[in-house]
Amino acid sequence: MMPFLDYKNVVPKTVIGLLVALIVILPVFTTNVITLSIFISSGIWAIAAMGFTLVLRTGQFSLGQGAFMALGGYTSAILTVKLGMPFWPSFFLAGIVSGIVALLVGSVVLRVGGTYFSIITLALAEVVRIIAQQWEPVTRGTRGLITSPPDPIVLGGLEINFATSTVPYFYFTVCLVAITALIFWQIGESRLGRSFAGIALNPVLAEHQGMHLMRYRVIAFTVAGVFTGFAGCLYAHFLTVITPYMLGLWQSIQIMIMSIVGGISSLAGGPIIGAILLYTFGIYLSRLEIYGIQQLLFGAAVVLVLLFLPKGTGLVDLWERFWRKVVWREEEYEPDTPDD
Amino acid sequence: MSYLELKNATKHFGKLAALEDIDLRVEEGEILGIVGPNGSGKTTLINIVSGYYRPTRGEIFFNGKKISGLRPDQIAARGIIRTFQSNVLYEGATVVESMLISSYQQYRTNHWQSFFETRAWKDENERVVGRVIELIKLLDLLNDTFLPAEGLSHGYQRMLGIAMAMIAKPSLLLLDEPTTGMNHEEAMFVVDKIKKISEQGVTVILIEHNMKVLLDVATRVVVLNFGNKIAEGRPEEVMNQQEVIEAYLGTETI
Repeated sequence: MMPFLDYKNVVPKTVIGLLVALIVILPVFTTNVITLSIFISSGIWAIAAMGFTLVLRTGQFSLGQGAFMALGGYTSAILTVKLGMPFWPSFFLAGIVSGIVALLVGSVVLRVGGTYFSIITLALAEVVRIIAQQWEPVTRGTRGLITSPPDPIVLGGLEINFATSTVPYFYFTVCLVAITALIFWQIGESRLGRSFAGIALNPVLAEHQGMHLMRYRVIAFTVAGVFTGFAGCLYAHFLTVITPYMLGLWQSIQIMIMSIVGGISSLAGGPIIGAILLYTFGIYLSRLEIYGIQQLLFGAAVVLVLLFLPKGTGLVDLWERFWRKVVWREEEYEPDTPDD
Repeated sequence: MSYLELKNATKHFGKLAALEDIDLRVEEGEILGIVGPNGSGKTTLINIVSGYYRPTRGEIFFNGKKISGLRPDQIAARGIIRTFQSNVLYEGATVVESMLISSYQQYRTNHWQSFFETRAWKDENERVVGRVIELIKLLDLLNDTFLPAEGLSHGYQRMLGIAMAMIAKPSLLLLDEPTTGMNHEEAMFVVDKIKKISEQGVTVILIEHNMKVLLDVATRVVVLNFGNKIAEGRPEEVMNQQEVIEAYLGTETI
């Protein structure tokens, strides 16, 4: 007898695995800076979008995730440029500083939660930008800080030099995305994910079942802050510059759009798909040189996703539906309506 | 000292006294019924015990320790779990997902062990899932296990509410009108389940509008009217007291 093979589960996963593998071995086919930097930037935005999704999982809508990217970027830039610290310790400090700010802001602001949280995080994004702009002696104001690429690493005779090639950045980003995705995925699968779902779906009920609302909201916000800080640090060093306008309000909104269009039902997959598609789309749109077209069409993308994909699930759910409907041609499962 | 003790518990909403100097003792293992007409303060009583509201005055002790003034989650952690008068559910979650979310207090292993999927966590999770299935069977939800909770009929949503409270590891269960909107037959089904829950070693405080339901299940009954305790005792005795009848049916004015 044939051993039972759950092909409906295995085949889509294999296809995803092959796609991921294809992206990972991309530098074998091309070392074109433009192609690689699209993927590097997408990866950076994907990490930020994952952070947004994690916070959203606790039922809170953060409109200021760009602030944590700016915090990470500026922390690392100041440490390396002004204090002459090497890249690697400053990379970790960037995440830690960003996480601490998230912890402090979160422990105050998350008490109110809901709309107030969104408004205050929105303000936070602006506050960080204005501080970066006005604190001239440290941040050089609107001129920004010129950062240097990470120091070369020597691994067993092989020198990885970030200054001469984009490939090391590419693999560094792939690793960072993979680690973030793995951690976030595991958070979603663990008891933390259950508690997040509880406090998001019904805070009152969850609280009466023993979940401390503040605790889980702050955990999610802080973890998101740390990884968004890492992303911001990588962003600043990859572009070798950080200015107050690079991570303003629009970038915060962009993170939100990527997360929602990609799909919030998945902590890792959705944000990655959303970031890659929208970033590439955004690059294409910026070539058209029509002012404001990117904002306009990104907004339209959100509206379309929310209108046509039920319950606000994003593109990541289309993948599953594609296999069920188009490939396996399954019938929609309709539960019997209960009779009273 | 009693298991749960309320001393002069008072709750005012502005000038309205929802509860006025209530003294109440609940012993371990009993099923205490609380009855009273609409607006008599039954739900407010549950709300101040579970920490949803802070009492304006007075103190509440559970197991000899003061619990008034604590947050709902701290009170839940001490083993006082409540249900709600309306169907309060995790919207968007299926029955089994709701149960797993509610199983929060069943775990002794911490979040790190869960994150790294250690042996101890897996064992404990298996035990909890077993308990979830046990409760789903007990409360007759087996056919609806994988259906969205908000799609269940009213009666099954009430049952799910009780099931979720039970998986939250109560030692004292506060049931707020579990039979609301049910006919007599369905109500008796719920009563039967409450007896089974009590047999599992859970003390129950049962708020009920319908006196007939209480007659069958409660070991002791407290009657509230306009925020005051007007009677207390065995169900049959209390039902025949003049004050109670007046509270329910009004005074004869002719």
